[in-house]
Amino acid sequence: MSTFLEPADPAPTAAERLHIAGLHSPSDAVLSVRDLNVSFNSENGAVHAVRGVNFDLMPGKTLGIVGESGSGKSVTSLAIMGLLPTTAQISGSVRLKGKELLGLSDKAMCAYRGNDIAMVFQDPLSSLTPVYTVGTQITEALTIHNPGMSKAAKETRAVELLAMVGIPSPRNRLRAFPHEFSGGMRQRVMIAIAIANDPRVLIADEPTTALDVTIQAQVLEVLHKAQEETGAAVVMITHDLGVVAGIADDIMVMYAGKPVETGSVDDIYYDPRMPYTMGLLGAVPRVDVAEKSSLVPIDGIPPNLLHTPTGCSFAPRCPLVTDACLDGEPSLNPVPGANYHQAACIKSGSLGADVDVHDIFSAPPVPASRFDLMPRAERATVLELKDVRKHFPLTKGALLKRRIGTVKAVDGLSFDIREGECFSIVGESGSGKTTTLLEIMEFHKDQDGEVLIGGISNKQAADARTKSAMRREMQMVFQDPTGALDPRFTVYEVLAEPLQNAGLSKPDIKKRIMELMKLVGLQPDHVNRFPNQFSGGQRQRVGIARALAVNPKLVVLDEPVSALDVSVQAGVINLLDKLRAELGLSYLMVAHDLSVVRHISNRVAVMYLGKIVEIGEVDRVFDNPRHPYTRALLSAIPVPDPQFERTRERIILQGDLPSPLDAPKGCNFATRCPVFAALPAAKQEQCLTLEPPLGPVQPSRAVQVVETGPVPVPDQQFACFFPDGELDEHMLVVHETAEPHAP
Amino acid sequence: MIRYLAKRGITYVFMIFLTTSAGYFLAVSSLKPALLEQERIPRPTPEQVANSMRLKGLDPDLSPWERYVEWLTGIVTRWDWGRSPNGAFINAEFGDRVWISTRLFLASIVLTLVIGVALGVYSAARQYKFQDRVITSYSYLAYIVPAPIAYFLVQLGAININETVGERIFFVTGISTPGIQPGWAQFVDMVGHYSVPTIAITLVGWGSYQIAQRQYLLDNVNADFVRTARAKGLTRNQAISRHALRVSFIPVAQSIAFTIPAIFAGGFFAEKIFAWPGVGSWSIDAISLQDVNAATATLAYGSIIFALGAILADFATTLVDPRVRVQ
Repeated sequence: MSTFLEPADPAPTAAERLHIAGLHSPSDAVLSVRDLNVSFNSENGAVHAVRGVNFDLMPGKTLGIVGESGSGKSVTSLAIMGLLPTTAQISGSVRLKGKELLGLSDKAMCAYRGNDIAMVFQDPLSSLTPVYTVGTQITEALTIHNPGMSKAAKETRAVELLAMVGIPSPRNRLRAFPHEFSGGMRQRVMIAIAIANDPRVLIADEPTTALDVTIQAQVLEVLHKAQEETGAAVVMITHDLGVVAGIADDIMVMYAGKPVETGSVDDIYYDPRMPYTMGLLGAVPRVDVAEKSSLVPIDGIPPNLLHTPTGCSFAPRCPLVTDACLDGEPSLNPVPGANYHQAACIKSGSLGADVDVHDIFSAPPVPASRFDLMPRAERATVLELKDVRKHFPLTKGALLKRRIGTVKAVDGLSFDIREGECFSIVGESGSGKTTTLLEIMEFHKDQDGEVLIGGISNKQAADARTKSAMRREMQMVFQDPTGALDPRFTVYEVLAEPLQNAGLSKPDIKKRIMELMKLVGLQPDHVNRFPNQFSGGQRQRVGIARALAVNPKLVVLDEPVSALDVSVQAGVINLLDKLRAELGLSYLMVAHDLSVVRHISNRVAVMYLGKIVEIGEVDRVFDNPRHPYTRALLSAIPVPDPQFERTRERIILQGDLPSPLDAPKGCNFATRCPVFAALPAAKQEQCLTLEPPLGPVQPSRAVQVVETGPVPVPDQQFACFFPDGELDEHMLVVHETAEPHAP
Repeated sequence: MIRYLAKRGITYVFMIFLTTSAGYFLAVSSLKPALLEQERIPRPTPEQVANSMRLKGLDPDLSPWERYVEWLTGIVTRWDWGRSPNGAFINAEFGDRVWISTRLFLASIVLTLVIGVALGVYSAARQYKFQDRVITSYSYLAYIVPAPIAYFLVQLGAININETVGERIFFVTGISTPGIQPGWAQFVDMVGHYSVPTIAITLVGWGSYQIAQRQYLLDNVNADFVRTARAKGLTRNQAISRHALRVSFIPVAQSIAFTIPAIFAGGFFAEKIFAWPGVGSWSIDAISLQDVNAATATLAYGSIIFALGAILADFATTLVDPRVRVQ
């Protein structure tokens, strides 16, 4: 178990100063960081990006650094690696096995980089050189540090590494270029490069942020295996509290360039002592919790690091702030009664596991909609899809195009959305979620299948007037709030445009805009500002206001919070929840974050390769998933609960989503299905030849026995022949680290 | 790859045919060589002029369409591009001109590329340092100064050297001294004639390559994959030269591929100023001399050169970038 440095007293003695400088770091620590400070010169002055980071990393252990964007976590890792631009001013001490790294020249640092200390970066798509083969890039890492190694030995080692990170037929893949790999595969290659020389320290900077959940689970598994094989200590940097819950031993929470709470993983998750940590934990929706409670929003934005804070840097956003908080920045102090659980808060003594975060942050009450009590069948239908298909021909040849196949992006989709309901579509990228949205927005009579929006069908005269009537029924909120707003339009102009189209008079438009600003929680006097003067969360609120301007019944949400930081995300989710209840809106949401989906949705559809494989009420589908894909998807989501994460069994799907070209004949999912893999050959035949239809879940025997009258069919349908089949044990993983993590 | 090239080739042949035909119609309806003939002294009668034109296949009385058919038949059946108003055959003239242009530009283009790309890399690695500022400022200056002025300055410099030495080392115009003895004397004469235009064109030309290569390399110097390479244990300079350079060379390779055919098309200013009668000056002269067939021939030649450049650029891209798939 690693330890955090005892905090410095206000007036440190000489011995303590030496201690801080790293001369007395624990001899067995593989990496010791002391008082690391990094600042960059900008046009407006020095930006102090990292302010006093201390930690010791023990061999084989994992430290999770958690924080939102701009908290200084990536800069810390780059400073340790010596990869910051030369204009950065770095002070403090970074010791690797007792040797000081800070101040080494680029050349001297090269002896350590990639050898003793290696790094995996966030974006696997851009982190590999596009013009060299994967084999060349792995071999290069070997050549640099082992000049005498023979060519054959290097190739053998490269094959071994690729096999270790789970790349099929590694010998052939050595000659493949990065663009021939999927994102998850590229990240595996990155890990292979990083562990090529058996590093003592492996730094992973958001290694799974750019990946799908199922692929994230695979990559985390590979990292775990790599750590076991090499015995390396790992620094895991992430903004996702779920990702580190299961794999970290210790956590350091960073805010405004400073560690604000450090401790063992259990301390941080079960006994947080800093309001920011508590807020972060409360802001994340849980995929495994059915009971609905509002998320904890943290108002405001992180401070500007141009100015050194005079008080606690979190004070402007903290609900517990008092005058004492503004008097000098609190340092990390041991939490009363704990050994190395430290928090930078003067109130850490009075906080703890028994304090409800919802009370502190005054989370809004769960909004109730007037439709919630009405049975679903009695509510009006706002959107209905009947057997919608979108097939793209795949052609070859420039002049005479030959059709060599069909990409079935959306293949026979039928569902409906009732008033006051949130319906979500989930699935990996490439499953057809976005195409479904585009097909609904397209609303053209030549489409394959029928789309009914508020009773208007695309098959009826889809002329300009019908379309404009349809647009008033349905509006869209986009994923990237920055890209979706015209930077040269003020908020007033953004909001006025749809109203002008609807033919409102000028005074009416003005009145409506003021209403909208209040509705989405923005200050009405900010209407003359430009989008770049708002934070990401506020911009998304503008996007929501724009969608609501014409009073639609249905709002289409395309990944509405995925571009936002956790603390901001909670506020937007709460807003969406409130609007649905107050205005009786219906939502059609596409999201990859299943925790968000569970939190906000009433019904959910799981898509795989253009088809719905399971659909139904959200709690039924999430608590009792019947389709193996749904089971795998849910199992892949990390939960911010260390005990649960350490002990649970997870399904790790093999491989990526198959190319739509090689879509199997029978069940689409057969190639990756954990149930299929364990079936006897005779039953496998059925999966391979027949396509399972979407059928309702039968009420369980027990219910049928108890109930005498006709049993209502539950709102859950799935498409699988063997929903109760055994799972293939090769795809199941249980980590044997269930020993208690108490200090 | 071969099928792809063949397909592209067919498309370009079709395009060249269209541009050339359109060019011919434009030339035949606006250029009137007969008018120039009438300014001769003694002034020929219109019948004489028409007769002489008819003999050279430039009958002014035929309609543009009739002349187009006649011209096209000549090319398709006999590869005969017609004659100039002065009686010269286009085919014969053409070969000489292309060879002259090639000799004028070949050495300087190679030098331009090598120096430009090398300086681009050198200055990108030293961004905002003294060397970078000097080199890049020079390149922008070369961009701004009109080529003829730069050529004149180099000529003046050469003349100055001649005068200082008191002996004629450099020839500022012309291709060779007539009647020179073969052997060493001929070689010295050739160097004397070649050096001034080659140096002048090179000095003006490398700027654009330097700026482009520097810019593309700087775009990649901070790329994620360079950071990965450094994380493996390469120094910054090693990571740049092994990883960023190749990626940044992709767009440069494309522009180089377009340059190579341009050697043969020549350049008007250089040919005029250094008095090397190549293709470039010919195309301008053709218009002032109301020469329909020569003007069209140079246009066709320009189109072919452009098509070759485009195919060469595709080829170069597939050569340096494995991501490009040829279908």
